[in-house]
Amino acid sequence: VRISDRRFALFLMAPAALFLAVFVAFPLFRLIADSFYKISPIAGGPRDFVGLDNYVRAFASEAFTGAGWRTLAYTLVVVTLEFALGLGMALLFTMLGKSSQTWRTVFMYPLMIAPIVAGLLWKFLMIDNFGLIGTLLHQAGILADPNQIGWLSDPNIVLYSVAIPDIWLTTSFMCLVLFAGLQNIPGDLIEAARLDGARAPALLFRIILPLLRPVIAVALVVRGIDAARAFDTILIQANGGPQSASETMSLLIYRTMIRFGDPGLASAMGTIYLLAMLAVAFAAVATIWRPGKDT
Amino acid sequence: MRVAEKTTHDAGTLPAVPTAPSAAPAVVRPRRRRGTNREGLEAGRRGTRTLLWTLLAAAMVLYGFPFLYLLFTSFKTPIDTIAVPPTILPREWTLENYANALGRSGVPASFINSIQTAVISTVLSLVLAVPAAYGITRYRTLSGRIFIMAALVTRMVPPVAIGIPLAAMMGTLGLSDTPIALSIAHTTISLPLSIWLMSSFFEAVPQDLEEAATVDGCSRLGALWRVVIPVVSGGIAVTAIFAFLASWNEFLFALLMTAIRSQTTPVVIANFQTQFGLDWGSMTALAAVYSIPVILLTLLLQRKIVAGMTLGAVKG
Repeated sequence: VRISDRRFALFLMAPAALFLAVFVAFPLFRLIADSFYKISPIAGGPRDFVGLDNYVRAFASEAFTGAGWRTLAYTLVVVTLEFALGLGMALLFTMLGKSSQTWRTVFMYPLMIAPIVAGLLWKFLMIDNFGLIGTLLHQAGILADPNQIGWLSDPNIVLYSVAIPDIWLTTSFMCLVLFAGLQNIPGDLIEAARLDGARAPALLFRIILPLLRPVIAVALVVRGIDAARAFDTILIQANGGPQSASETMSLLIYRTMIRFGDPGLASAMGTIYLLAMLAVAFAAVATIWRPGKDT
Repeated sequence: MRVAEKTTHDAGTLPAVPTAPSAAPAVVRPRRRRGTNREGLEAGRRGTRTLLWTLLAAAMVLYGFPFLYLLFTSFKTPIDTIAVPPTILPREWTLENYANALGRSGVPASFINSIQTAVISTVLSLVLAVPAAYGITRYRTLSGRIFIMAALVTRMVPPVAIGIPLAAMMGTLGLSDTPIALSIAHTTISLPLSIWLMSSFFEAVPQDLEEAATVDGCSRLGALWRVVIPVVSGGIAVTAIFAFLASWNEFLFALLMTAIRSQTTPVVIANFQTQFGLDWGSMTALAAVYSIPVILLTLLLQRKIVAGMTLGAVKG
């Protein structure tokens, strides 16, 4: 007996759906359930229903609101810089044409490096005393003292310093995606604009960027989600410090769960964090992509 | 794309169409016609190109330097590693850091764990993603659309949020601290990505292909296995590399879900800085040994990977 196409499609999707239900949806369900309980960190310890108490405590804590703003600032800095740099590189490669292909490949290499390794490497470059960046800036006469900038020890700038490896790792991704998008822009469109006397800035802002809109939307959303979840690079470089100045949401949740042993509060924070990400991602897709428009 | 190519070729025969905006209108330049439709943005003038190449060279040096510095450092003597002021090149080239790093207990075992975890996770992702993506793209049912949306939403779930409940589940299943448990966790990351990638690849396969096969008496499953899968084998390879890399480089789940037995190398690298003080030399050596195979592998397979990376995003 031949089953219908609809059933057959379901049969093909079922194993993957089941896997995601068991190993993503179920833990998520547990996370949300846990957020309403006060839970002892000891296995088998007491578990008391406290209603929304964990949520109230989360919003009342300065650590939580601070981490929220830091996550937002971190994400904006990372995504903006890597978009600007990625677009610049993509335009450069496009203007150089086919002869730059080998370099395009080489430019991709950071994508293969583990974030933990990248974080470590940049920590080594920026660390006080034997960090190379301070020394090079000093030797170039820009800094009076190699330790003048405490990249990872100054609470005012540490959040931006820990963002550097993230930008370094994924500018390649932005570049690749935007480069592919640029290849799909018909050459005669550019020619026509040039015949009309369009100069480079007009070409970029009136023709190229609007045509790339869907590609840009996807790239920004994908990278925005990843940047908002950044953990490895920040943990290894500054571990949330000094004075919590680099404590983003994932680090705060991790510490609340593991270090401070408060799974209930950590679950409430995790739930809020997830909801916020969903909301921002959907809003971003809707505004940047504008699916109604034909571009 | 084909159309664009044709029209630009025609446009190329017209005189007085400058390739660069600053070109004097009176000068008729022979147009570059390499590549498909690159005439639009590809710079033609020699001066412009020299400037662009210089910019590219500067960018490549800046971009490549950090990893080169890691390599150079790994060949320094342990004392030189933290010399003040630091030098770029080793004063004396030595393999001491490599011997220290690889000789440390737990390091060789962590490599085996990393390989095992990544291989299991890759196979699991492919076995689940290939039929699912096919079901989504070939039949376009409502459930398929809901499913791909749901799969994309799972991409937003922060690992830190589900890591602990997941670890507890693995305990219940009796899988605590095993490569299988970690590879399942890694598959929660790579499966949505794999479904997304494979859907793009299946979309490029013409439907007549399996229609012809079913007319010839193949079952739908048979057509998928014998006709469609061979056609998308390149796409499967790309997806496999992505799933492998996602697991190979993953740190947070590995930190939350493994203890001594199934620890992967990223966790060991991170532990170098707490357990043994600041052993930068060994850390750079281990980081180099861990990164170089995957960098080389991907450079070898670069074209396919670029295609995979951009496919989903460009198609939107």
